[in-house]
Amino acid sequence: MNDNIAIKVEHVSKKYCKSLKWSMLYGIKDIGRNTLGLSSYSEKLRKGEFWAVDDVSFEVRKGETLGIIGPNGSGKTTLLKLLNGIFWPDKGKITIKGKAGALIEVGAGFHPLLTGRENVYINAAILGMTKKEVEKDFDSIVEFADIGDFIDTPVKFYSSGMFVRLGFAVAVHCEPDILLVDEVLAVGDLAFALKCHRKMSEFRQSGGTVVMVSHNIQAIRNVGKKALWLNGGEIKEIGEVHHVCDLYEADVVMSRKSGYDTIGSQLHYDPAVRISKVEFLDNNDQIFTSYKVGDYFKLRIHFACRRIVKNPIFTVSIFNSEGLTVSSNYSNFDGCEFSQIFGVGYIDFCLDKLAFKPSKYVCSVTFSEEEVANVLDWHEKCYVFTVAGSSANYGLINPFPKWSLKYNQGGR
Amino acid sequence: MDDKNGNLRLIKSEDTMTETITTYEPDNSLKKGYLSIFGEIFNELKKNRWLTYQLFKRDFLTIYKQSFIGVLWAVIIPLVSIGTFIILNRSGVFTIGDINIPYPVYAILGMAFWQLFSAGLIASSNSLVKAGPMIAKINFSKKSLVIASTGQSMVSFLIQFVLAGILFVYYGIAPSPAILLIPILIIPIMLLTLGFGFILSLLNGVVRDIGNILPIFMTFLMFLTPVLYAKSTTGILAYITTYNPLYYLVSVPRDLLLMGTAPEWGGFLITSIISVIVFTICLIVFHLTETRVTERI
Repeated sequence: MNDNIAIKVEHVSKKYCKSLKWSMLYGIKDIGRNTLGLSSYSEKLRKGEFWAVDDVSFEVRKGETLGIIGPNGSGKTTLLKLLNGIFWPDKGKITIKGKAGALIEVGAGFHPLLTGRENVYINAAILGMTKKEVEKDFDSIVEFADIGDFIDTPVKFYSSGMFVRLGFAVAVHCEPDILLVDEVLAVGDLAFALKCHRKMSEFRQSGGTVVMVSHNIQAIRNVGKKALWLNGGEIKEIGEVHHVCDLYEADVVMSRKSGYDTIGSQLHYDPAVRISKVEFLDNNDQIFTSYKVGDYFKLRIHFACRRIVKNPIFTVSIFNSEGLTVSSNYSNFDGCEFSQIFGVGYIDFCLDKLAFKPSKYVCSVTFSEEEVANVLDWHEKCYVFTVAGSSANYGLINPFPKWSLKYNQGGR
Repeated sequence: MDDKNGNLRLIKSEDTMTETITTYEPDNSLKKGYLSIFGEIFNELKKNRWLTYQLFKRDFLTIYKQSFIGVLWAVIIPLVSIGTFIILNRSGVFTIGDINIPYPVYAILGMAFWQLFSAGLIASSNSLVKAGPMIAKINFSKKSLVIASTGQSMVSFLIQFVLAGILFVYYGIAPSPAILLIPILIIPIMLLTLGFGFILSLLNGVVRDIGNILPIFMTFLMFLTPVLYAKSTTGILAYITTYNPLYYLVSVPRDLLLMGTAPEWGGFLITSIISVIVFTICLIVFHLTETRVTERI
């Protein structure tokens, strides 16, 4: 194997059984065959079995960080367990160079009745530390966990934060060459989360190899240069982290489509007043719903009033694919005030430079009289548009900042 | 070094700067050959001694926690069961046969040796299932887990020996010098227990019926084996006892301890050899199939 490769995965597959009864039967059969020195023909699917990981191949170089993303049940954790040797592949081959440590669940070996101190020793042993190493690192572990006097209290009386902190503290002191991490960094309070991130960063900078599974795409973008997108046990995409994450996010947004179109509901309170049509337009007033970050954006609300509406107020609220309110604007607050309107016409809601991150968005539009609460026509989450582009920044929007750096007088 | 279980690899020794390479693929041992297994197993057990001790400590410390009298339970439980048999015997319900030493001494020694097997086997067969989530989330030596689980029966053994010592003083009789050989004499019964323990822990991992049946089966087996009564000389029970390996493993050390001689040495030796063979085969089977079970726990 090439010297620079830390992990090599060649056509690896792993099957699971859906039914407990069949699983028992197959279990006994496989144990029997392995005992007799016969092949267990693990490459074939039997009744009730399916591939949880299917023909996956990739390499991770030393010092590289690979992020694994994918929807629930796509085989991410199974793949991590295969890399750790907890499960063995049914097909293919995994080669690991160096000491691999896994953080699949923090504090997995803790016994609730034992004190923190007792658990540290036992857990460290389970995680592969020697007696000498634990004795050397014990103070450092307690200091990292920052749980004070509670170290001599049974862990069942710990808060969940303390439990996880102690578990993480033990795990990070194992000093592996390869760290396999599953969604554990989002633990504890902010100060502890920062401590964990710093520890991880130290590990990467000292040349450690990391494989990380997370649903937090931003975390994956932040830590590494390479990502792997698993879908139904198969590799959908592997490569540069932002490229893969962009594709994945786009796919997630698109697959939510069906959810949106049916959510929308319209409530008509006044039969004489209607929002007759809502359109998305580009800068040439052409109908358009697929924007790019930074595009000109126009939402046109057509109204029809068969009576005079006094002090009309239009509102536009925009929600992202997670249901968060990205913006909510009232026409009167934004300085668009009329004493009254009547007849058929339209009002435009324009954005010069679309600052929304790539995602799918849905708009709610309302038409009120005198005050916002007096709604005449309410179209709740009825209008969908998408924004494409790269979303390497955190946060709900990209406000197109301009950065500049200057030195103080004589600051150099 | 190319080891089967990730744990050996997890332990970094200061002198080896070369990186270890580990491979995982199906039917690994078939490809590497049956003979390499012995080295693998030996290295794994050697490297994980401290882990085994820690796992034993975990069991030991937790078993009597959140209990007022704590470790005293280890004394009370055997006393109660032997007391029951003394009462049954006195009332004539239960005949114990021809014994020329005080029955309580005979019974407690028999129980001490017997529970090495019965308690040890029940504990080890449940060891993988009990550790379930831990096994599915951390890669560590499962052999250590099984071995450590029998530690509790060793502790009970020691406690019962202390009780037996008190009874020796009470009845004013002295054990033979063979008492010094006890650590060696219990090796065969421990090997047999571990051997069956390895297999049953695997099977229990796949099919939970094992864990439910075993305690009942152990009680049955205890009455079938002359633990609390003397070997009968006639009838079907005498015939069964002749071919019951556990009889030799329990009664020969006890006879040696009480009388300084044991007429059935031959049976003990043969049984010891069987125990070594059982242990070896079961350990290999466990080694070959332990990862199969992890996914089904």
